[in-house]
Amino acid sequence: MISVSNLHKYFGKLHVLKGVDLEVKAREVVVMIGASGSGKSTLLRCLNFLEMKDEGTITFDGREIDPTTTPLNTVRENVGMVFQHFNLFPHMTVLENVIEAPVHVKRTPKAQAIEQAKRLLDKVGLADKGDVYPEKLSGGQKQRVAIARALAMEPSVMLFDEPTSALDPELVGEVLEVMKGLAADGMTMVVVTHEMGFAREVADRVVFLDDGTIAEQGDPETFFSNPQHPKAKQFLSRVL
Amino acid sequence: MTSFLNDLISTFPAFIRAAWMTLQITGISLALALVIGLVFALMKVSGIKALSVIYSGYVGIIRGTPLIVQIMWLYFGITQIVVLSAFWAGTIALAIHSGAYIAEIFRGCIQSVDRGQMEAAESLGMKRGLAMRRIILPQAFKRAIPPMGNQFIIGLKDSSLVAFIGITEIFSLSMDNAAVTFKQLEFYTIAGLYYLAMVALFTYLLSRLEDRLDTAK
Repeated sequence: MISVSNLHKYFGKLHVLKGVDLEVKAREVVVMIGASGSGKSTLLRCLNFLEMKDEGTITFDGREIDPTTTPLNTVRENVGMVFQHFNLFPHMTVLENVIEAPVHVKRTPKAQAIEQAKRLLDKVGLADKGDVYPEKLSGGQKQRVAIARALAMEPSVMLFDEPTSALDPELVGEVLEVMKGLAADGMTMVVVTHEMGFAREVADRVVFLDDGTIAEQGDPETFFSNPQHPKAKQFLSRVL
Repeated sequence: MTSFLNDLISTFPAFIRAAWMTLQITGISLALALVIGLVFALMKVSGIKALSVIYSGYVGIIRGTPLIVQIMWLYFGITQIVVLSAFWAGTIALAIHSGAYIAEIFRGCIQSVDRGQMEAAESLGMKRGLAMRRIILPQAFKRAIPPMGNQFIIGLKDSSLVAFIGITEIFSLSMDNAAVTFKQLEFYTIAGLYYLAMVALFTYLLSRLEDRLDTAK
C-alpha cells in the first residue's frame, strides 16, 4: 500500500533520514520505535507530506507521489493522522470537529456527515460528548475525538504520531484500546510510539529506527525477545 | 459653571452634527481599514516572497510617517492626479493609516495560532485557503478583538486630524468656537467630553462583543 524508498530528509545541515526503505502492506500494523531524534516522527510526517522529503520516492498503491505535480490534499484525504498534541479545533464542538472535513472537503451532505460522526463518536466511546467543546475534555477523550475526526474521512491508512505521549498515565489505556479496535477491524496503521506493550501486542511488524536509518525490523515476538542490532538491544534494555 | 453649561447646551445641536461626522469618518475608515488589514496580513502569511515585501513596504511607510502628513499628502498632494473631496481624502488617509496597524494585529494573531492547527487541517485533506478560512482565521479573529478595540479607539481619536483639511467634525468645531469666543478652555473641554462619550460607547460595545464570543466560544 505504501512504499518508501531511499528517503532522505535534512533539517538545514542536520541529516535526519538517511536513505529509509519501508513497505507497508494493506491491513498491516507497523509500529515504529526508536530513541528520540532517531527520525521516526519525521519519517511518519513525510508519509503525508507534512514534511517534504529531500530525496527518494514515496508510493501509494503503486502511484508515486510527486509533491510538485500531485495536489497533496488529494493524497492526504486518504491518509488519516493523529497527533501527539491532538490538534483539535478549539472553536468547534466535538461533533463539528468530526464533520468538518467530510462536509468541506468531501462535500458529504451535512445530515449524512452528522450521522457518520455520531457513529464514530460512539465507536470511540464518546457518544455523549458531541456538543462539548474540546477544552472540556480530558487528554484521553481529546485524542479519541482526534481519532474519530481522522476516521471520518474514511482513510485507507492511519498514521499515529506518539498518540499517547502527552497523556497522563491513567489515560493512555483508553486511547490504546481504541487503536487496538481499529487494528482488529483491519485498518492499515503506522504508529510511532513508546508504548512497548502495544507494539508487542498489536503490531504485525516492529521497525526500529536509529540515527535516521532502519536498523532492524521484524515481527514483534522475535524483535522483543531476541533483538539483533546492538542499538536495538541497548534501546530495549532501557525501555523494557 | 453656569456659563460653561450654557456653552455646552447652546452648541449642542452643532456638536451633535459634528459628532455624527466624526462617527461617519471613523466608521467608514475603520471598515475599510479592516479589509486592507486583512488583505495585507494574508499577503504576509501567504509565504510568497513578493507579497511579503509589499507588506513590509506598506507597513514600514505608514508607520514611519505621521498621520497628519498622510492626510495632507492625500488631500493637497495627490490633487494633481485625482481630486478627492476633503471627506474622502480624510477617510481614505485614515483607512490606509489604521490598515497598517490592523494588518500587524491580524498578522500577529494569525501567526499565534498553533502550527498544529494548520497541520491537522491539511492532514484532513483541506487546502491551505480552506484551512485558513475555516480553522485559522476564526481563532485569529477572536484573539484580535482586544487589540482591535484598542486600535478602533485610536482611530476614533485620530479622526480629529481631518480638522486640518476643513472638515467640520468635533475638533474643528471646537477650534472655531474657541477662536470666535476666546473660550479656549471651555471649548476644548467640550471637545474632550464628546470624545470621551464616544470612546465610552465604543468600549462598552466591545466588551459586550467579547463577552458574547467568550460564552459562544
